[in-house]
Amino acid sequence: MEKIRERAATLLAEGVVTLVLGYEEGTKRPRPLFCRNSESARKLIFDSRCIHNLAVYLTKKELVGKDRFAVIAPIATLRSIMQLYVENQLSEDKLLVLTVDPSGELRELVTFEDIAGYVEQFELKRGEREQEILSKIDEMSREERWKFWMEEMSHCFKCYACRSACPLCYCSKCVVEVNRPQWINPWPAPLANMEWHINRAMHMVGRCTACGACGDACPVGIPIDLITRKMMEDMAPEFGYIPGQPAKKGNALSTWKLDDREQFIR
Amino acid sequence: MSKIGVFICHCGENISATVDVERVAREVGGMEGVAHAIDYKYMCSDPGQTFIKEAVKKYNLDGVVVGACSPRMHEPTFRRACAEAGLNPYLCEMANLREHCSWVHEKSEETTEKAIDLVKMLVQKVKKNKPLDSIKVPVTKRALVIGGGIAGIQASLDIANTGHKVILVERDPSIGGHMSQLSETFPTLDCSQCILTPRMVEVAQHPNIKLYTYAELESLEGFIGNFTAKIRLKAKSVDYSTCTGCGACIQKCPVKKIPSEFNAGLGTRTAIYVPFPQAVPNKPVIDRVNCNYYKRGACKICEKTCQVGSIQWDREDEIVTEEVGAVVLATGFDVKGADFFPEYGYGKYKDVLTGLQFERMASASGPTFGEIRRPSDGVIPKKIVFIACAGSRDPAKGIPYCSKICCMYTAKHAMLYQHKVHDGESTVFYMDIRAGGKNYEEFVRRAIEEDTVNYVRGRVARVYEKDGKLIVKGVDTLLGGQQVEIEADMVVLATAGVANCGSEQLAQKLHVSYDPYHFFAEAHPKLKPVETNTAGIFLAGACQAPKDIPETVGMASGAAVKVAALFSNDELVREPLVAVVNRLAPPLYSTCVGCFMCETACPYNAIEHEDIRGRDGSLIKTIAKVNEGLCQGCGTCVAFCRSKSIDIQGYTHEQVYAEVMSLLND
Amino acid sequence: MSSNTDFEPKIIAFVCNWCTYAGADLTGTSRLKYATNVKIVRFPCTGRIDFLLLLKSFAQGADGIIVSGCHPNDCHYTSGNFHARRRWIAFRSILDLMGVDIRRIQYSWVSAAEGSKWADLVNHTVADIRSLGPYQEYQKIADYLEKGGYHGED
Repeated sequence: MEKIRERAATLLAEGVVTLVLGYEEGTKRPRPLFCRNSESARKLIFDSRCIHNLAVYLTKKELVGKDRFAVIAPIATLRSIMQLYVENQLSEDKLLVLTVDPSGELRELVTFEDIAGYVEQFELKRGEREQEILSKIDEMSREERWKFWMEEMSHCFKCYACRSACPLCYCSKCVVEVNRPQWINPWPAPLANMEWHINRAMHMVGRCTACGACGDACPVGIPIDLITRKMMEDMAPEFGYIPGQPAKKGNALSTWKLDDREQFIR
Repeated sequence: MSKIGVFICHCGENISATVDVERVAREVGGMEGVAHAIDYKYMCSDPGQTFIKEAVKKYNLDGVVVGACSPRMHEPTFRRACAEAGLNPYLCEMANLREHCSWVHEKSEETTEKAIDLVKMLVQKVKKNKPLDSIKVPVTKRALVIGGGIAGIQASLDIANTGHKVILVERDPSIGGHMSQLSETFPTLDCSQCILTPRMVEVAQHPNIKLYTYAELESLEGFIGNFTAKIRLKAKSVDYSTCTGCGACIQKCPVKKIPSEFNAGLGTRTAIYVPFPQAVPNKPVIDRVNCNYYKRGACKICEKTCQVGSIQWDREDEIVTEEVGAVVLATGFDVKGADFFPEYGYGKYKDVLTGLQFERMASASGPTFGEIRRPSDGVIPKKIVFIACAGSRDPAKGIPYCSKICCMYTAKHAMLYQHKVHDGESTVFYMDIRAGGKNYEEFVRRAIEEDTVNYVRGRVARVYEKDGKLIVKGVDTLLGGQQVEIEADMVVLATAGVANCGSEQLAQKLHVSYDPYHFFAEAHPKLKPVETNTAGIFLAGACQAPKDIPETVGMASGAAVKVAALFSNDELVREPLVAVVNRLAPPLYSTCVGCFMCETACPYNAIEHEDIRGRDGSLIKTIAKVNEGLCQGCGTCVAFCRSKSIDIQGYTHEQVYAEVMSLLND
Repeated sequence: MSSNTDFEPKIIAFVCNWCTYAGADLTGTSRLKYATNVKIVRFPCTGRIDFLLLLKSFAQGADGIIVSGCHPNDCHYTSGNFHARRRWIAFRSILDLMGVDIRRIQYSWVSAAEGSKWADLVNHTVADIRSLGPYQEYQKIADYLEKGGYHGED
């Protein structure tokens, strides 16, 4: 922790970066901290409670601006950064990544190749909560799944916190704001909620890195992160990628293979 | 409010026999925004079209729906009629009441109701239609042909003879390609050079052809009708404007042991060289890798020999830029060579040759002046074995395809051998004989029957040397897999034809697709064999797949016609049914966020990057832009775009959404 | 409910212009008969078919959907159908997870020469959807605002 503070302070003092995105102690859990001087870098913390995916800020032009900045990134954030890079949303020369490896060593990752090499070592696994709910869903019949999700969705009041928390929802105009035609009604209603969440999952195919930020952000606790997570797990063998591993150029849906499955096609 | 005109056709009785057309017109006529609705016996007839034209003017219509046959049949007819009446043709749509309704259903209430739904659907669509203008792209009437083998030569001559300028680029110091290496050609056994060299000379002398030899394509930018090609002219070290091609420098060059590429390594050449006596242009280049001066800084004997002072030691590569409207790719193929066949001892035994080497040996201008002699000791072989399918049709070797020409040239080789060595004995090991082509089968039969070539159906497992002989071990599958062992003096492998080296990189430079074996991919395997998926780039010859000379020449002429057709107009007029990326006022400029998923999805490389810059020139963002010259209008990008920033004219989100909503509304 | 033989399913078909639309034209030219329940919306290519249109169709009252295009390697645009196939694989998986009845979407390849296949496809799909019954489950959530709340009586 001390090392991170020191390094951040030095980077800022020497003008290597103008902004460090990190975490500070919050009321209940750590919250994001934007350090612009070495003074504020003293407030930085980093531990296992720091799960807020800071990659979401990296595409906010008003925040990161034109200068170089550093971000303190746990593994989930690193995966998001890789995906953003593949989608042409980040450039190497503007970003410096600080992370702490499992042995507690501070690592500085400069190029995306560095990040990819680092990310490769980590396997993406289901946590206890994911395992529990997903295995429950696996046992349900189709009708039960429909009921389950309708029940969950009935709580959704379309605050779009899931969208705001997701680092990969960086569109300047979201499809719910497109009104010619109005594909999905923006207000909360069973149909509009269902359409929104199916749409969100479709938009995440081959992109979601299962950071769980959407689920964490949901104020009414709908396990929406499991929709994209399950989708990701199911699609990985289908399209030949390994969940959580650095993405390659070209998205799973914008590429194809001659022998993709088609038993369902008459 | 819209003013839509609806015209329901009886199609004689084809529609009206099962659909109550009057009711269709009546019910659709009551829709909001429909200004006029009628039914008539033959809408496509002259009076029918006149109804439409008059109604457009009388009711000032801003959209037309014709409920008749399939739009695949008469859409152009009715769109033209609308255009003649002054209505933008893209404001006219057709509802398919015949093929999709009256012909497939019995006369019933439901059939009429379905017809009403179909017409209503198109009315809702047409309300969202926008007037569109055809896309006009200017055309630079100059072609670039890459590769100076027979394919490139033929394509260049054909294009040049239509009166258009051609730039022919050849990688080697001379044009001619593989065909110039061949001895005689099947199935007529006429001498390859005798038929080729006149064409090579014609290329050099043609007023419409600009020839760049010893040159390679550096880059190609742009799109159909408007390409900019950068061509690297490799330094020849000889000034061609003064060189007379006397050849004195070649005689005196002290570096004489360089394996000759033209002779497939069987002969040698000097460091300053002309690849072969009939080369075009017939002037030398200096091979800087092997030249004593470039290697060690001393020699310059050629300079002393040259009486006109043409040697230019400091000459550097030069890049020239050419504007062209079309490109013909004719880069040909290569054959598998050394160490690909350890089981046949190739590369180890001097007397195991490739077909191309045998070709040079059999050629009157070759290293042995046409005599078949063992490279190891110069003795005339009395027993010779030809192995067909060396590499080809062998998935284990990564070449599952048939190289197509080997059966024929192997028969030719055996024949030539028998003609030259009368007491010789030749054996061909083959898998199947593929002699599809005019006079081809007869040719093979002649080899077997008249020239007594021994054909054995089976594969050769191994070739090894023993007491100065090559022992060929194989099986005869027609004799129940019986082992065959031949003590041969020479073995010739019909090695697989493969994509030319560098074809993958070239394809990437040109943005054309290629198959798993790096042959360039045609746009459609049957109906567009000379087109690529990139508009304006065409294929000729073996760069697409192995093929023989007549096929190559035919394909080259085909490509030339495609180019000539493109050049027959000053402007390329295209249907405006292409994708567009939305543009908005600042600060958004566009809802596109530049993830470029569309770029990977587009089969036509039509998505470009467009930098949006502020007044001070600073980059605000990079968004996608559709190149109208390249886009073919499939709309795959549209379905990808998460923010719906890209749309396709003629099938816009609003249009298809309106159709779906209308169709399902009760 | 599902055994209701009077039930006439509403089916919408999304087809590509070059293969299936032309194939359906051939069905007409060959005078092969099929059920009137299916209505075709024409697209340039299956690659153009947006998954949201499928969702909106259910919301708008469709009981079944047909999506059809060119066979692999036959796409007029080379690869639109391959892209579409991937999209459908993902879409089916997500719909299935959410409990949407994916038996109601019939995917198919129908070429321009397969007029009889189109007629068979339509007739089979109509029969399948007829046995599944109206898609009330989905339409109920679509009718929410008119009929007052999802948590009402079934």
